[in-house]
Amino acid sequence: MINFSGVTKDYDNITAVKDLTFFVDKGEMVFITGPSGSGKTTVLKLIYYAEQPDKGTISVAGWDTEKIKESDIPFLRRNVGVVFQDFRLLDNRNVFENVAVALRIRGVNEKEIRARVFETLKSVNLRHKADAYPLRLSGGEQQRVVISRAIVANPVVVLADEPTGNLDPVTAGSVMKTFKDIHAKGTTIVIATHNRELYKNSGKRVLRLDTGVLVGEEIG
Amino acid sequence: MIPTPYAFTLALQSMIREKWINILSVLSIGSGLLIISLALFSVYNIDAATRSLPEKFSMVLYLDKDINKENVDSLVSALKKQGAVHSVRYIPKEEAMRELKAVLKNSSYVLDGLEENPLPDALEVKLTRDVVGPEAVKRLADEALKIKGVKEVEYAEKFLSALHYLKVGLKTIGIILIATLSTGIVFVCYSTVKILFYRRKEEIETFKLLGATRGFIRTPFLIEGAVIGTTGGILSLVGIFVFYYLVLLRLSVAMPIFKMILFPSTLFLPLPFLGMFLGMTGAAIALGRLRY
Ligand SMILES: Nc1ncnc2c1ncn2[C@@H]1O[C@H](COP(=O)(O)OP(=O)(O)OP(=O)(O)O)[C@@H](O)[C@H]1O
Ligand SMILES: [Mg+2]
Repeated sequence: MINFSGVTKDYDNITAVKDLTFFVDKGEMVFITGPSGSGKTTVLKLIYYAEQPDKGTISVAGWDTEKIKESDIPFLRRNVGVVFQDFRLLDNRNVFENVAVALRIRGVNEKEIRARVFETLKSVNLRHKADAYPLRLSGGEQQRVVISRAIVANPVVVLADEPTGNLDPVTAGSVMKTFKDIHAKGTTIVIATHNRELYKNSGKRVLRLDTGVLVGEEIG
Repeated sequence: MIPTPYAFTLALQSMIREKWINILSVLSIGSGLLIISLALFSVYNIDAATRSLPEKFSMVLYLDKDINKENVDSLVSALKKQGAVHSVRYIPKEEAMRELKAVLKNSSYVLDGLEENPLPDALEVKLTRDVVGPEAVKRLADEALKIKGVKEVEYAEKFLSALHYLKVGLKTIGIILIATLSTGIVFVCYSTVKILFYRRKEEIETFKLLGATRGFIRTPFLIEGAVIGTTGGILSLVGIFVFYYLVLLRLSVAMPIFKMILFPSTLFLPLPFLGMFLGMTGAAIALGRLRY
């Protein structure tokens, strides 16, 4: 599903990711961990093509960085739901609209949008906040809106960047349960986190990064 | 790209959210198009007023003295074949003399000493209204001179060419004005869409990361450009009608000369479409220059 081969990504004068090779199988759940600045977000950005590698090749859901056309990028991204570390919520739209956007760009009809958005909001316990605006929500609530938007269109891959960063342990647990549920339905999931509670005893693969280099792989 | 209903929703949201920018550009476009309309209106009226003038002016062909009737007839039919000729009237020298006497009235005794009529026979040639250029008239005169039996050609050369250059001059000014203002309107739409785009940059970036296509992102701006342009066009249409019915018509009650002014209302009906076209052009240029 995701395949990195010798990938290097430089920003100006620093190397964010260096000669990285790894794969994620279809339907797998994988964690990426490492200290702040180790390149976790960069790896995710490379997967959804917000950044392009300087060296090496990446293939995601059948698309190859070497062959992909500019006009294919939106369709690659529709396979990948992203929980952005910085949320990227639209402050001038309410919760319902923020989640609905993922479906609107895909041209889904209004009736189905309503059904799916409400269903997804219910699954993260936010049905009652559908009309609220993001700035009026707590950090944890915003986090769950972002998760809803990432999963509402049933993408084949979900990337979550520090998805429990703002959550208390109880809420974090319920968010992880959401991921486990969609994983159980066959969705491939990559979670970047430095919270070892998330992968501890999970039995999933954990990739450890340090200054852009893959320094180890373990089972959580 | 076929606009989806959501593209219209996005365009509408943006128009409401950025209403001041939009109102401002609608007003600029409206005034630009109104000035264009007034220019068209003036050119149209000057054209209409001067259109029948060439018709009123004729060319006179003086004929050889010894010309006979058959020769005159064949001359007349030869002239009538010319495209620029509207009508030909034969003026025999006797009639010319009568006219001359009528003109001289009491002083006509000066002609009494003449034994023989010294005036030549003549043909009066009226030109069609399509003959605008002095070159065409000159060409006709030269042609006529070449015909056997024609001795001299006389016509109001200076007047025709002055009239011609007046018209050409006015039309050129009109075209320059229209071209300049149209460019200005396109530029207003271009800047507006660019501003609107940057105001929504965050949102657009997010749309893109979620998998929005170029079409999805751009269509609302094209719609917005079209709506701004069309609204400006409607505004100018209202403006020109108000100008005619409230200003000119009232003036013509006091000053009948204004009654001569023609109001070509159908000429102005495409204004909203012109506005839409210019608006979309501006939007398309703006989007073409953005890297999205
Ligand atoms: N757009 C950018 N321009 C320049 N440098 C960048 C950019 N994005 C990231 N970096 C640098 O690349 C390195 C890796 O950053 P990255 O965001 O991938 O780290 P991270 O592991 O996600 O960290 P955190 O846990 O704090 O989120 C850092 O040194 C960062 O400063
Ligand atoms: Mg990060």
